[in-house]
Amino acid sequence: MHLSRGIRFRDKGGIVDFYRGQVLRVDLSAGSVAVEPLNTEWAEKYVGGKGLLLRYLWQEVPPRVDPWAPDNPIILMTGPFAGTNVTTASRLVVGCKSPVTGIYNDSYVGGSFAPEIKFAGYDAIIITGQAAEPVVLTIADDTVDFVPAKPRYWGMRTSEIEMALRADFDRDVKVLSIGPAGEAEIPWACISTDQYHKAGRGGHGALMGRKGLKAIAVRGTGSVSVGDAQAFLADVLRMHTDYILTEDNLWANEEGTPFLAQVMSDAGVMPTLNWSTGSFDGIESINSDAMQKIKTKNRACYQCALGCRQWHDVGSVAGEGPEYETIAICGANCGIDDLEALLEFNHECDELGLDTISCGTVVALAMDLAAKGVKDFGLRFGQREGYVNAPELIVQRKGVGADLALGARALAAKCGRPDLAFEVKNLELPGYDPRGSFGMSLAYSTSDRGGCHMRSFPIVEEVVAGTLPPDSLQGKAEYNVVKQNFSSMKFSGIWCDFWAMDLNQIAQLMKHVWRREVSEEELAVVGERIWNVGRLFNLREGVEPDDLPVRLYAAEYAHTTGASAGRAIGSEVFREASAEYYRLRGWDDRGVPSEAKLTELGVDVRLPSVATIDLRER
Amino acid sequence: MPHVLISSKKCTGCHMCELACSAYHEGAYRPSVTRLFSEVNPTLGTTKGHTCLQTGCAKCQQVCPNDAIVTKQVTVTPKGAFASKEKLGESVTGYILVVDEAKCTNCGECYAACPTGVIHEHPDRHVAFKCDLCDGDPQCIAFCQNPYVLAVDLKLDKADKALVVS
Repeated sequence: MHLSRGIRFRDKGGIVDFYRGQVLRVDLSAGSVAVEPLNTEWAEKYVGGKGLLLRYLWQEVPPRVDPWAPDNPIILMTGPFAGTNVTTASRLVVGCKSPVTGIYNDSYVGGSFAPEIKFAGYDAIIITGQAAEPVVLTIADDTVDFVPAKPRYWGMRTSEIEMALRADFDRDVKVLSIGPAGEAEIPWACISTDQYHKAGRGGHGALMGRKGLKAIAVRGTGSVSVGDAQAFLADVLRMHTDYILTEDNLWANEEGTPFLAQVMSDAGVMPTLNWSTGSFDGIESINSDAMQKIKTKNRACYQCALGCRQWHDVGSVAGEGPEYETIAICGANCGIDDLEALLEFNHECDELGLDTISCGTVVALAMDLAAKGVKDFGLRFGQREGYVNAPELIVQRKGVGADLALGARALAAKCGRPDLAFEVKNLELPGYDPRGSFGMSLAYSTSDRGGCHMRSFPIVEEVVAGTLPPDSLQGKAEYNVVKQNFSSMKFSGIWCDFWAMDLNQIAQLMKHVWRREVSEEELAVVGERIWNVGRLFNLREGVEPDDLPVRLYAAEYAHTTGASAGRAIGSEVFREASAEYYRLRGWDDRGVPSEAKLTELGVDVRLPSVATIDLRER
Repeated sequence: MPHVLISSKKCTGCHMCELACSAYHEGAYRPSVTRLFSEVNPTLGTTKGHTCLQTGCAKCQQVCPNDAIVTKQVTVTPKGAFASKEKLGESVTGYILVVDEAKCTNCGECYAACPTGVIHEHPDRHVAFKCDLCDGDPQCIAFCQNPYVLAVDLKLDKADKALVVS
């Protein structure tokens, strides 16, 4: 079914430097597309990326909408520096009201998709509705088409659809797609681009599947203007020399995230055997040294000088990854010290379009339930048998896969052991046990999208650098506030975590966008503004209380083995630190921002009625 | 003669060279109008460099019916590191091929003849455009500075080595 022939747009070109000034709106129900001007007032207030995504979501998501409903949009947002030489800023953020958590979700992904959207002429794509029959959306500058996804594309694995769309349309087309997991609406289905890059968390892939959108293929031949290009090139080159290609940052190319594996296990932070200890006996089989033996080359995201992606080849499978989170959650947490099995599991998740953090958590839970004699899913800690095939069974909801596809919270509840599910707000936790790094407890409980390590990462100071004590929550509420604000600004750029930048460096770049001197203080305010809009969004949609699985902080659940044995935050200390966090934020005890705080930050949205806000039951 | 090469083996596929190339010449980032490129297949993890070999190839010059591809002397002093720096030194002088836009009729003979696919019609000016080593300050090399990568390199043809000035 050909829904719409190419629709020609007037090319407005780069009306504002760094932005393209246009938003592409796609209505899958109507099979129509439209272009509208970027809201430049919002762009100035919220920069791009996370900030601008949140502001658009506030506008576009009908309050309290069923997240599976056609009205719940998926928004693809770029940052002002996508499509320039600014290192790591090629990231795309995908946002929606998550069908898994029911709250705000932003998921970031590298690769080359965001710059290509910019070159095609858009800062963002807003996707609403639900296609009657699955489609592939093709964008070539101002020509946009809907192509039937059946029979050719529907059912394809992620590598297959990328290759197919390049063959069918243009060698240089950039592809964003879902695999069979997204088509099957598995709760942790992710969105893929450049095969190994995943907007992983929160079920965006499942929502894309519900909408009947198999893939977007984009080709852009336009330009991103930056004012005086020669001056900008010179300044960016200076920053690369001073800040990027330094001793401190070259770990990314040498080892990438696998370097964390040994460090985390040694510190008792590595979730092991479904979070029953913090150090993994088999770590040497899956740490960075083991990965280096099978590494054949480095790969990079678009416009990234670091090139952190490690290409591994074990004969049966070859490709990028696994990254640290996969090593921790799909390796140690499942007791898997078989490197080849881990790579195969990772490969299956990549091809099916499954988030490895959630997938590994669910498999580890199933192994734990069997070990404890609760229910046998045919999965055993440390055993390859069953493990490698689990992702495929989950996607087909076949055999044990039907139960596993429920997700950790629902599966644990169904088996009568809700205490064994390691998630926050129904998003499975990544690879850092707060019992070995106390600051992570608050980072998890107060994260705006549920179980996530990306908004604040005290691991850096508590474990990697050792500049803050890992076994104390003293001062960690303030630490998390400052870091969450900073990350909100940074993820609006959108810069990758692997550029260990500070506000001063962001200011040096933002002055090119705003054409004036920029202070660190005002950038911190922008970050705090964005974080508060996220909180308002979650309150509007209904959010659970900020909490953590009790095992991660209560004294009686301290580990008895591993490097973090005997350490516990303690329930009272955790409650006090949580309350301190709210006070520092200027929020009441339900986490509702005060009017004074919102005014101070220049937040331009308000809850319909503060008095009626109720936190959702867990 | 001096020319740029991309090591397909070392290249990580970051496209920094294309971005810098287009910004330097076009005044805005527009990698669809670049004078060199790395053909990247992110699914397979493969890269293949495409650059102009200048006078060492000269197919464009040979087929041009209007003598619009002209030989020009240039002194190249790349910013930053590159793999051959130890061998070549800070600076080299030699000959490259540039487009005389006054003579170019956009007939397309050179587009078809170029073995590496790096001479094309400019989408705005409708004449051929190609690599001119940024008049001696090649941005592609300047932006390929990861010491573990250094995929974009400066090379000299054997015949030209006598011209090397250190």
